[in-house]
Order: sequence, then C-alpha cells, then structure tokens
Amino acid sequence: MPIPDLGILLFLGLCGLIVGSAFMVVTSPNLVHSAVSLLFTFFGIAAIYIYLYADFIAATQVVVYVGGILVLIIFGVMLTNKIENATITSKTHNQIPGALFSGILLLLQFYAIFNTKWLVNDNPEKSSTVMDIGELLLGKYLLPFEVVSILLLSALIGAAMLSRKKVD
Amino acid sequence: MNNLQSIQYFLPELLIVQLALSIIILDLLSLKRWVNICVYIGLGCSALLLCQLSSPIDGFHIFNGMLINDSFSYYFKWIILISTASIIVISNYSKELDREYSVEFNAMILFVLLGMFLMTNSIDLLMIYLSIELVSIPSYVLAGILKNDKKSNEASLKYVIFGSFASGLMLFGLSWLYGISGSTNIYDIYNSLALVESPYMIYISLMLILVGFGYKISMAPLHYWTPDVYEGSPTVVTAFFSVAPKAAGFAILIRTFSILFTDANSLSVNTFPIHNVNWSLVVAVLSAITMSIGNLLALKQDNVKRMLAYSTISHVGFMLMAFSTTSVEGNIGIMFYLAMYMFMNLSAFFMVIHVENNFNVKNIEDWSGIGYKSPVLSIFMVLSLVSLAGLPPTSGFVGKVYLFRTLFATEQFYWLGIVAILNSVISLYYYFKIVKSMYFSEKVIEEKENIQAPVYTLIVLFSAQNILFYMYWSDLYNYIKGLF
Repeated sequence: MPIPDLGILLFLGLCGLIVGSAFMVVTSPNLVHSAVSLLFTFFGIAAIYIYLYADFIAATQVVVYVGGILVLIIFGVMLTNKIENATITSKTHNQIPGALFSGILLLLQFYAIFNTKWLVNDNPEKSSTVMDIGELLLGKYLLPFEVVSILLLSALIGAAMLSRKKVD
Repeated sequence: MNNLQSIQYFLPELLIVQLALSIIILDLLSLKRWVNICVYIGLGCSALLLCQLSSPIDGFHIFNGMLINDSFSYYFKWIILISTASIIVISNYSKELDREYSVEFNAMILFVLLGMFLMTNSIDLLMIYLSIELVSIPSYVLAGILKNDKKSNEASLKYVIFGSFASGLMLFGLSWLYGISGSTNIYDIYNSLALVESPYMIYISLMLILVGFGYKISMAPLHYWTPDVYEGSPTVVTAFFSVAPKAAGFAILIRTFSILFTDANSLSVNTFPIHNVNWSLVVAVLSAITMSIGNLLALKQDNVKRMLAYSTISHVGFMLMAFSTTSVEGNIGIMFYLAMYMFMNLSAFFMVIHVENNFNVKNIEDWSGIGYKSPVLSIFMVLSLVSLAGLPPTSGFVGKVYLFRTLFATEQFYWLGIVAILNSVISLYYYFKIVKSMYFSEKVIEEKENIQAPVYTLIVLFSAQNILFYMYWSDLYNYIKGLF
C-alpha cells in the first residue's frame, strides 16, 4: 500500500478540525465554549488559504477574524451579565424532517460536485500575491473596492445611530 | 471601458454618494435645517443626470466589465428613484419617526438607493453580491430605527438573521459558478456553463442563487421575514421596502437569469432554459405558492400593514408568473406592472401613514368611519385598493391583463393561469374589507383631521395614476417595448 502524501493527510486533518470545531460552535450549550471553538475554525480556514497559495488572504484571516472579531466576541460574552445561566426559551422543532432534508441536500451536492468538470489551474504561481491584489484593487476591481467602503461606512453610521443614547 | 472613461456614465450614482456624505457633514456642523433642501436638490439633479445619459439598447460594459449601461437598467432606475424620492418627502411628515435621527434616516435611504441602482446594472458576481448587501445592511438599520419600540427591534433582528442566511446561501451558489469558470463576469461564466456536461451543477447553483434573489423580492418559501418586518418597521420604511427593493430585485433576477441560465445569453430574445434545466417550471411552481400564500394569509389579517405585506407577496407571485415564461414579453409585462404597482401600492401606504398620523389607528376595524372623516382622500384610497385588486377601470387591471397575456401566449403552464385567476378573486375580499370598514361602519372618530399639503398631494398624485394609466397605458407599454 503506497504511503499517502503528507500534504493530503494534513489537509484532511485540517478539514476534520474545521468541521468538528464548527459543529462544536453550534451544539455547545456554553457560549464561552462556542466562542473558543470558533477560534479553531478560523485558524483552519486560514490554513486552507495557505494551501491555495493565497498567503495574503491567510494573513488577513488571522489578523481580522482571529485577532479582531473573535476577541470582540469573547469580550462581548465575558462582559454580558448573567450569560452563564441564560436560558434559551425557543425550542428546536422538526429535528427529524430537518435532518432528513439537509441530508438529502448534502448527498445531492456530493453528486453534483463529483459529476462536474471543475476548472483546475494545473500550474499555480507560487509567488507572493500581495502585489497582484494591490494592482487589481486599484485597477480592474476599483469599483467594487469603493462600493465596499461605502457599504462599511453605511454599516458604521447605522451601528453608531442604533447604539447612541439620545442627547437632551 | 476603463475606470476613468466610465465615470461619465456613473454620475447619478456618484451624486447620490456625495449627497449621503454631505448631509452627514451638514448634521455634524449643526446645519440640520439645510439637510432637507440639500436632499431635494440633490435628488432632482440626480434625476436630471439620469435624463441626459444616453442608454443604448444593447448596452456597453463600464468599469472594466463590472457594470453594464443599458436601457433596461435605466427604466428600473426611474422606478426606484421616483419611489425613493416620494418616500423621502413623506418621511418628513410622519409622526412615527424621531426627528432626532432624520439625517441618519435620509443617509441610510440614500445608501440603499445607491445599492438599488447598482443592482439594476451589475454584471459581475462581485458587484451582484455587493449591491445586494448595500441594499440589505442599511435596510436592517431602517427596520430598527424606532429604537424604543420592541416590535421595531424584533423586525430588525429578524431581518438581519434571515438576510444573512439568504445571502450566505447565495454566495455559496455564486462560488459554484466561479469554480466552473474561473471568472466573475457573468458573460464569461455563460461561455463556461454552455460547455458543462452534467446539469446537476447548474441546478444547485441556480437554486442557491434563486434563494438570494427570492429573499429580496420575498418569494415563497423565503417570505417569512416580510410580514414581521413590515409590521414592526415604521410605516414609511414599510412603504419603502414594499416597492423600490422589489423593483431592484426583479431587475437583478431578470438580468442574471436571462444571461446566465438561458440559451440566448441575452435579455432581448425569447429563449429557453440552458441545457434543458427546467427552471422555468420551478419558478412557475414557486410563483403559484407565493401568490396563494400571500392571498390566503392576507385574508386573516387585522393589522393594515401586515395585510399590505401579504398583498405585496401575492403581487410578487403574479410578477413571477410572467417571469416563468422566460420570454421578452414576460419581462416587458413585469416592467409594465412594476410601474403600476409602484403608484398603487405607494398611494395606499401613504394613506395608511396619513390615517396613522391623524387618527392613530393600526387595525382594519379602527378604520371605520374614515370614509366620512376625510372624504376626498378616502375616494383615492378606494381607487388604489381597486387597482391593487386588479379591477377595471384602473391600471392594476391593465397590468394584470398583460401578465396573464404573456402566460397564455407562451402556451405553457395553463394551470398557473387558473391558480392566478382564483387568487385574483380571493384578493378582492381583503382589499374590500378596508373599504367596508371605511364606509359601512358606525363608529365615530373624535379626532379632527389635520391635512398636510405634501402628503395630501402625493396621495392624490399617485392615486390618480391608477386612472391615467388605465387610459394611456399603451404609451408606457410601447415605450418599454422600445427598450428591448
């Protein structure tokens, strides 16, 4: 029996880590556990980006999601009063039909994925991507880049308005 | 066309961004009283810019293939601009909204306006996603703008959860398209899709994308957010949600599906679904479900806003019926109906705002006696309701006739026509429940009516279109026909 490629083994391990910890995030009754499990999911995704030779995106993933958003979530969990004994009032309904339906969807997707000829880049360039990203953002993708900034600005204004106290 | 050359075709949008940013700065400089004038002038200039832009029928790509500049998008932009401008005018007279946040309210509406403009002419997956998000995210804020109202908070939260779920699914569907083609431009993706051997992949990505678009136009089974969000949001915001984003949603739905998932790769040719992937049947079934759910649930509603929310769902169902024919006639029918729908629905909502301002009522039975209390406006309200129900002599009738005509002309889905006719009959009942309450109930209202001139004018103006378009519909129809 041939020894499988180490890279593939590592990839499968990563996938297991991502899916397993994502499963923990949604099933764990304890919010702190959920938040910490999210850490592993985000790190795993960053590793997947490295597999795709997307070094810049991987670094951004670590900086923004792990470093920024996750820390914010954990702070939010810790600063919220009485979060330990908060009871979730809404119950879960229709578990069996839901599981059946999503199972069928999963199988359909597997079938479709394995029956499709995907575009495969045989010879990916293994150099740094930062320069290309910079050029594309200010060239071909200038408009989406600017629209994103408007989108973030609108979200910022909206959040500030909703959280602001009324001044007398 | 490169970025610098494209700017000349992007001036209305640029002006809207400018406007949104400058009113925020005006607010910071404590020049709040100038904000309204600034917004009116800005929107007027934006309309003028939209007028002077020439729009060829075939269209050309701008911003390196991110957007397309064609007459199809200009028609939708007009519908969106007119309805949004009227909402901004009305919002100044609503007693529900807090004056304190009027600048933020206007800024949010302008951001949504920009997003809707982009939705009408996006031809790149990235722009499609971003424009939908640019409509959604400020909409979440608008739904929750009454910060101390529990229902408004609930509406906002539900909208966020449903919206992020739907856009996540849509993004997954878009990623399939990227995976097959390695490109984000929908014309390039079409070339790759034409070579695909198995249709399964197309089915899955198509359904996932339909989830994202269907959520914006509140198509069943993604309509669940609609009644709650419409009921909880301030009425001005509800009126806004019920027309402009629906028009933008239909624009992006028609464009993306006609280009990506048909044989013709074009908007202006009668065509069939790609690779015999029978999505028109899927749309037909969903259309039947959408109109039936909207109508049947509207029957039981007591709250006027909730009832109008369900009525919106059923109108979306009727428009989807024309979309399921995948013909140019169907697209023309939808565009024609959207213009009629804008006037009848907005005038009905403006009347609801007027009644809420004056008599502080929410339920249908509380509308009793309003027919005698404000006689002129009530007559126009009845006109709008008749139009919503689709009876002659109103434009709603002409619009519906065209939707039915396209369905029967393509000689498929006769069963859908029967479902739609039954639904039209059902809808009479709940629209006339309001009429009955207005004229045939005993209750006497004590409050005096306080008429605000702009609200009054807008109700009369928009409602009168129901009669005007009944007489002069052929001009509009020929105009739309000339766009293809």
